[in-house]
Amino acid sequence: MTLLSVQAIFYYMAAASVASALLAVTRKNPVHSMLWVLALFLHVAGIFLLLGAEFLAAVQVIVYAGAILIFYLFVLMLLDLPDEEARPRFGKHWPLAAAVGLSFAALVWLAQVRTPYPVGSGPVGSGPVGTGLAPAARRLAAEGPPRGSLRDIGEALFGPFALPFEMASLVLLAAIVGAVVLARRRGAGS
Amino acid sequence: MIAPPGMVLGLSAVLFGIGVFGFLARRNIILMFVSAEIMLNAVNVSLVGFSQQLGEPRGQVLALFVIAVAAAEAGVGLGLVIALNRNKPGAAVEDLTELKW
Repeated sequence: MTLLSVQAIFYYMAAASVASALLAVTRKNPVHSMLWVLALFLHVAGIFLLLGAEFLAAVQVIVYAGAILIFYLFVLMLLDLPDEEARPRFGKHWPLAAAVGLSFAALVWLAQVRTPYPVGSGPVGSGPVGTGLAPAARRLAAEGPPRGSLRDIGEALFGPFALPFEMASLVLLAAIVGAVVLARRRGAGS
Repeated sequence: MIAPPGMVLGLSAVLFGIGVFGFLARRNIILMFVSAEIMLNAVNVSLVGFSQQLGEPRGQVLALFVIAVAAAEAGVGLGLVIALNRNKPGAAVEDLTELKW
């Protein structure tokens, strides 16, 4: 594919993500919101594909869209909210919330537009480097295999990130136990 | 260079802003959780953008951890919602004013 068509696909994905996110937070029917969030997750997976993160795109579709979102839908249908559409969808303070969201987005946008950051192939020390991450990253990129590949992620995950990886499993275990304890009917057992 | 990196970060900022708005404005506690998921997704977008820009996989590893934490958050949060719903039916946050069962 040519660069231009890839960029066109990227801009389509970006516009569709923003549109579906906006629709997700503004729909009155919660199930419709969930379906728009599903569209958002799929488009974000497409953006991951364009950015060369194939494994993460697969994880996004399988875990986020396939597991987490379905879990949300389960609970939403379990709760049975018949009068949800009749009630106001936003609280009374929603203009304030809109102002906060807009100003946050504008702040981050301005910050990233005005801050140049180094690219992987540039010479060391070109341009201001805001974090300590960049020099080591450039060294890794210089000696490593093609970036973003599954092999890279696996080696990082089971090499320098082995301890955080195990801690993530601990976090998930704690979440499982916590969910069981919280959602258990009071008086049943214990 | 496939996607313009500034645009990736801008998209991330806009998605995060939408998530903030949804979290602050919605009345339904489940949709507040979903807005938090939108924010986590925005952070993932920027992490993957950094990963591609800097040419190294650590950003994607961090994004994987973010997904794991999001799954944990969904589990605990929805467990809380079910527990609260048992005491007071509905999912409106302004009904949840008393911190006792």
